Amino acid sequence: MNGAQHILEAFHQHSINTVFGYPGGCIMPLYDALVDDVDVEHVLCRHEQACALAADGYARASGELGVCIATSGPGATNLITGVANAHRDSIPMLVITGQVPSGLIGTDAFQETDVLGMTLGIVKHSYLVESADELPAIMEEAIELAQSGRPGPVWIDIPKDVLLTEAQALPSKPTTSIETSAPDLFTAIDMLRAARKPLLYSGGGISLAHAEEAFRQFAAASGLPSVVTLKGIGNGGKRDPNHLGMLGMHGSRAANRAVDECDLLLVIGARLDDRATGKLDTFAPNARIIHIDADAAEINKLKAADLSLRGDLTSILYGLTGELKKHPLAIEEWRKQCRTWHATGGFNTADNEEPLAPITGPAFVRQLSRIAPDDTIIACDVGQHQMWVAQYYQFDHPRHHLSSGGLGTMGFGLPAAIGAQFANPASTVINVAGDGSFMMNAQELATIRRYNLPLKLIILDNQCLGMVRQQQELFYNNRESHIDLNDNPDFVAMARAFDIPALHIERTDQIRRGIETILAYDGPMLLHVAIAREENVWPIVKPGASNREMIDESQRTRKANKEHVA
Amino acid sequence: MNPTTHPNNAGIYAIACTMTHEAAAMERLCQVIRIRGFRIVQMAVDAAGENLNIALTLEGTRPIAMLKTQLEKLHTVGEVVLQAPMAKTKTA
Ligand SMILES: Cc1ncc(C[n+]2csc(CCOP(=O)(O)OP(=O)(O)O)c2C)c(N)n1
Ligand SMILES: [Mg+2]
Repeated sequence: MNGAQHILEAFHQHSINTVFGYPGGCIMPLYDALVDDVDVEHVLCRHEQACALAADGYARASGELGVCIATSGPGATNLITGVANAHRDSIPMLVITGQVPSGLIGTDAFQETDVLGMTLGIVKHSYLVESADELPAIMEEAIELAQSGRPGPVWIDIPKDVLLTEAQALPSKPTTSIETSAPDLFTAIDMLRAARKPLLYSGGGISLAHAEEAFRQFAAASGLPSVVTLKGIGNGGKRDPNHLGMLGMHGSRAANRAVDECDLLLVIGARLDDRATGKLDTFAPNARIIHIDADAAEINKLKAADLSLRGDLTSILYGLTGELKKHPLAIEEWRKQCRTWHATGGFNTADNEEPLAPITGPAFVRQLSRIAPDDTIIACDVGQHQMWVAQYYQFDHPRHHLSSGGLGTMGFGLPAAIGAQFANPASTVINVAGDGSFMMNAQELATIRRYNLPLKLIILDNQCLGMVRQQQELFYNNRESHIDLNDNPDFVAMARAFDIPALHIERTDQIRRGIETILAYDGPMLLHVAIAREENVWPIVKPGASNREMIDESQRTRKANKEHVA
Repeated sequence: MNPTTHPNNAGIYAIACTMTHEAAAMERLCQVIRIRGFRIVQMAVDAAGENLNIALTLEGTRPIAMLKTQLEKLHTVGEVVLQAPMAKTKTA
């Protein structure tokens, strides 16, 4: 077997049957090997960025490794945004690129770029393969590394001659993992029992560790009021009575208030990101902190933990659950208090009953949440629409909510939805996009058509870069700068040009029919939703300010906002 | 973060580290040191078979323990030892 065939052999060994890629000169030996392979489905996207984002969406929705492939030079550089996106959200991904032949590296050869050098900061690890014999072991190690501990993208850059050379497999090195010892668990239990107002704070680490079930059992046994980060949405399921919603910049008042008042914060699988914590000095000011994470470097990184537990989240959570089942926590008063806050400070604005009224983002998303089946996967883009989905859609599982958290990559949603649909062919997969974001990977309409994916595409079109416009309004004295998109294309005609049927709605009384129509249609369909340009996401915390200083619609006047700018 | 000035409160630290002698090993190490807020004052690298032994003197205002855990996360870094006695605050 040559190097290229060894790559496919590794795919077979690890049951990797779907990869996203785009061919070119230096990766051609791998594409040649693919011709004879019946077990690996290669999905041809129309831009390498979309290949990486589709692999990311595939991994998020399935919990398995996402794989993307590109050629050297422009192919590799086009992957970068997608790989950075996966890196920031700890998504398990294998990236394979062709490189110019070994002898030409460093000669400024055609389509040569220093891929290893330029991607160091966006990978968990990377390799430049120097000989065909080491390729099989590198494949093994890379596949293991991408998925173990805190997952992340691993990039293998392979010179063309290595792909073509016959290879002898060398043995790979074993890897090790670290477990938390039992005494730490007892200390955590003691701290929980000593607290009067303990709060559970969970993030994307729960599903990354495949610890969803363990988390739910722990949440139920502990009865702790809980908040989630953007990536933790769905952790507790949609029927968790103690759940207060998302915290942070666009979080609920209830969630931010509970963090502010709690006396113990149990942080699990979250990295205390600035969008979630606001100004750190005033974050959870009265709380002792227990931090549970797979990554030692996250502990004490931004906020000192009174106790840290590092290791496999599932076994830690089951360990804690066992103790709490024997003797439940006595925190009924605090639970009641949190439920009251949730009832008054959650995301529960009344529906607009006026049938001819323009559609608002929250009203649309709430309806979508009511109508779409329980196992629907929503892949968002980035902007106001993303926040409305996070606030108003009731997710039952974290893998149903695909959102670019750490990097905030506009253009994520459409290719991520493609990846999610390949991972879950029978599920309803919806991309909720903004008009700006949609145009960043619109070429992927061709991929949807080619593979006849039954994806549902929803564009919440406010004819502007709404999230930027909102911050310009609130924090830059309403001085709008380059956010206008009132010359958007006709999205309905655009979809139809790709042979995808499309529908336009603009009034409140059209929401239900619009959603039902696209969901009932047997194939891909686009729903273009015109919404008001001036709509804002509420509440909002000014970047860098304390989560106590939430601004809502009642403070929309210039005067109030100027005070917040100060 | 890419500090270009020497703040008065910067600490000086000595670190010894071993890592696999792989392609881009030193770039990987230096990149993490830079992005996590430290400057290299001195560096000595000694290639020993498959490994590199690296002695570093670093300067920075952030907690050195944070850099240590970030360096330990690198897949090809074997051991990072903080040599405590070197650490002192600059009074420039
Ligand atoms: C690739 C990229 N470029 C720029 C930004 C900065 N940005 C964040 S939100 C946003 C506006 C998004 O507009 P749209 O997709 O229409 O969503 P809306 O906020 O209007 O709902 C911009 C420009 C980004 N996050 N990603
Ligand atoms: Mg918009």
